[in-house]
Amino acid sequence: MSTPDPAIAGEAEGEGEREEGTAEERFVGTGLERVEDRRILTGEAEYIHDITPEACLEMGLLRTTHPFADIVEVDASAARDHPDCELVLTGEDVAAEYEPMPCGLNGLSEWSLARDTVRFVGEPVALVVAADRYVVEDLVDLVDVEYDTRDPVVDPIEARRDERLVHDQIDTNVPDAETLEFGDVDDAFADADNVLENQYSWGRISGVPLETAGVVAEYDPDTDSFDIDCNIQLHTLVDDTVYEPLGYDPEDVRLNVPPDVGGSYGTKIAIHRYCALAAMASQQLDGRPVKFVEDRVENLQGGDMHSSDREYLLRLAYDDDGTIRALDVNFVDDFGAYPHYPVNQTLKPLSVVSNAYDVSDVRYNYEVVLTNKTAQTAYRGFGVDPHLYALETAVDEAAGDLGMEPYEFRQRNLIQPDQQPYRLPTKNVYDSGDYPAALARIREIVEEHEETEGGLLDPDVVESRREAGKYRGVSYTVHIEPGVSGADWTDRQRSDRDALADRDIEDVAELPEHLRCVVEDDGTVRTSLATDSSGQGHQTLVKQLLADELGVLPSDIEVDYLDSVDAPTEYGSAASRMAVMLSGAAEGLAAELTDNLERLAADHWDVDPDAVTYREGAVERDDADESLSLADLATLDDADADTGPDADADADADDRRTRAAYDYQHPALDYEEFDEAFAQKLPVYPTAAFAANAPIVEVDVETGSVEILKFYSLRDCGTQLNPMIVEGQAAGGLAQGIGAALQEEFAYDDSGQPQAVTLFDYLLPSTKETPEMVLEHTETPSPFTATGAKGTGEGGMIDGPASVATAINRALEPFDVVVDRIPATPNRVRRWLRES
Amino acid sequence: MSADNTPGVEERPTRDVTLTVNGEDLSASVEPRLKLSDFLRQHAGCRGVRVGCEHGVCGACTVSVDGDLVKSCLMYAVQTDGSQVRTVEGLAEDGSLHPIQEAFHEEHALQCGFCTSGFVMSTQALLSENPDPSHEEMEDHLSSNICRCTGYQNIYDAVERAADRLEDLDVDP
Repeated sequence: MSTPDPAIAGEAEGEGEREEGTAEERFVGTGLERVEDRRILTGEAEYIHDITPEACLEMGLLRTTHPFADIVEVDASAARDHPDCELVLTGEDVAAEYEPMPCGLNGLSEWSLARDTVRFVGEPVALVVAADRYVVEDLVDLVDVEYDTRDPVVDPIEARRDERLVHDQIDTNVPDAETLEFGDVDDAFADADNVLENQYSWGRISGVPLETAGVVAEYDPDTDSFDIDCNIQLHTLVDDTVYEPLGYDPEDVRLNVPPDVGGSYGTKIAIHRYCALAAMASQQLDGRPVKFVEDRVENLQGGDMHSSDREYLLRLAYDDDGTIRALDVNFVDDFGAYPHYPVNQTLKPLSVVSNAYDVSDVRYNYEVVLTNKTAQTAYRGFGVDPHLYALETAVDEAAGDLGMEPYEFRQRNLIQPDQQPYRLPTKNVYDSGDYPAALARIREIVEEHEETEGGLLDPDVVESRREAGKYRGVSYTVHIEPGVSGADWTDRQRSDRDALADRDIEDVAELPEHLRCVVEDDGTVRTSLATDSSGQGHQTLVKQLLADELGVLPSDIEVDYLDSVDAPTEYGSAASRMAVMLSGAAEGLAAELTDNLERLAADHWDVDPDAVTYREGAVERDDADESLSLADLATLDDADADTGPDADADADADDRRTRAAYDYQHPALDYEEFDEAFAQKLPVYPTAAFAANAPIVEVDVETGSVEILKFYSLRDCGTQLNPMIVEGQAAGGLAQGIGAALQEEFAYDDSGQPQAVTLFDYLLPSTKETPEMVLEHTETPSPFTATGAKGTGEGGMIDGPASVATAINRALEPFDVVVDRIPATPNRVRRWLRES
Repeated sequence: MSADNTPGVEERPTRDVTLTVNGEDLSASVEPRLKLSDFLRQHAGCRGVRVGCEHGVCGACTVSVDGDLVKSCLMYAVQTDGSQVRTVEGLAEDGSLHPIQEAFHEEHALQCGFCTSGFVMSTQALLSENPDPSHEEMEDHLSSNICRCTGYQNIYDAVERAADRLEDLDVDP
């Protein structure tokens, strides 16, 4: 990370990375190097595409090229007759034996292979299995499908008129919509001096991890159950999306995620179609393992993995002195042909509805719209990113209309530190933070380093660049990153919303974070995570946390993963939960384990448990100079088990005192402030990490191209468990935010054909588009969490797009251009300039 | 539903190919359409060759063929007959990480790791030709590889650290 000046480097520099030292040291808060790295760097890591059991077959999918068509006939005879073909399944075959996939809304379902109608380009129509992927693709070409094409529904605004329906049986293209009102919005609008109303568009984007979706499924005819290796995200939470289409119970469908997953960013929560199909194929083939790894074109075109695609109509009421009075947010979100699990992406912005501003009257209206496009999945930020983009752009415009500097306008409206914890009108609560100071500080940094002689914003430089047609600008904004989602609210859209008013906190069913461990014979504490990981370094974090809690070295802790049957249902790695949830779970697990170990030692010495003390990897006897190490205790426990009345290891596993398990409850349950949000199923996010950003951009007014010259960002996620990982999350998130702002988009043409089906069309930021980032970190601990950590997995993606868009507004201020649509591609920038 | 057909596999043309992978001689009979990336992963035991796009954009499958950086998804195995191929598996020696791998670890230049083999190979080629690259030279050279996790900042730091270490050790990458 670039740190040109030690003053800017702040706490990021100087922490440094360190090797493991002695057990007296604390490891949380250090940049402990990751344990995940070595296997990855040497090529030994086992990603899903590396898993190939003996006699494994390969599956391929025939996908439709039509956005909307009725299937007249599927003729698979040529494929089935081919000597290399092991299996063909069509939609009718699947429907005859299996169940549909669950949807994000009640009343809708979807088959894993299309039956009567195809509804998006890329929708799978048939599966073929053979020994080799090359051969499979040959065989897929032999399946012939006759279609009656229909006029597709492409534009989400037109779709709302219901002139043509994506699903005839539900009679509407808007299967879900809700208007939520907080405070007295109409009064505030009537009373305010000014009202701004404008439309903003957020292009269809997504995470596009470098590793595509993959699965290896194996049916066991003897036990009538399935073992499924796959890179699904949230495997203990969304396992229903796999066992339901198979028509089996949860305990008969074991989902196992490899320790290494090549990125997900939310997107892989919705790969259940592939998992179910490969499992069905294996079952049809008497248990031969069946593998499927999506290719990149499948992934981009019809892989159920696009994300938010929104048209906003935003109204802002504000007074002449720059005080924001009320906010009225309306948007439609194009979910494609099927609303999958993340329909609640439309609701998450309620958790940060006014961003860092103090606003008490808010109306929020969303519509989920169906079109003939591939389905949405989750993506880092989970719908907050478009909201902040629309809001901050409107704030820019309101400031401009008043002739006020946007910085001053923003400062005037920020939540003050003495208002913390701050309760939003939408019932979520921010935990801590000094936003005005952060905004002032980021401006000070830029002024100090860039507005001085020779800096990027040296007035002389800015002037001479303008003469060459290059317009520079910087924008100062503060953003809240909601962290540690509750689970209960996430099914609001499948709940009876009229009944929500009568709920109270007793009705709330949250999901805990589970950790368990066992002390092995050599004293190693083998710990098992119930979540899956995709690059966040959870194994390293658990080592740090438990090493501190148990007073041992990180190398004394081993961390592995549980599958969906062994693990309890929990939420998992999403919504920036893990730093906080693992902090609490590690604390609880260590307390449980040390208590067990003390009882074990006390029994051995035949003394009261109060007469012994666990300390740094051993239990000591208070009244004598005796101690038992972790290895001693493991041996002792084994001996007890072997000679006890019930020597069956499984049967008495729960009584073993070198084992422990802990379920950490969601931290917001401990604070009454959140009861109302919980009870009404409104988004609960008890940590508010925040960032003050200042990207410096240069716009070429001739070509319309935008270059980010440098990205300054001051970030605060409370206590940093591992500053190295925190900084990595921030930089990576910002790069994704920059991609969203400037170049990424899944466009469709008017006939419903996707325009971005390769990485030549869906443009991921490379080194060329990713600027130098200068990051400063402060730490304002959360009062609501075990270590003071706040969730920070999504920050840069949440705040990057709004920051870049408003910086372009500043650069093009002389032309009165407003970036009302992102990505701000060169052709759009040129159009704005032409129309200005 | 199972295909009703007699056992027996359609005859497909094959070609013999002989090459050296990470210093080991290897001969195989392969279909001419077999991509080098798949050959290395399935026939040469080099699973560190990652397949991210199969159309030459992401760079995860980058390897060295006769000293040139190649996206192995864009080449057929038969085209490497007689060649020397080097993959990420050929870097670590006697269980010790190569200085480039070490630098990526120390600078936290990887998160999910799916792009990492490609970046490490690309860095190795860069430092072979240019032991002390400027920031712009690193940016140019590494623009053939995509990382979706790190935002590249730590990758630059890793390349710089690796360059320093190699200079200190006075060894070629």
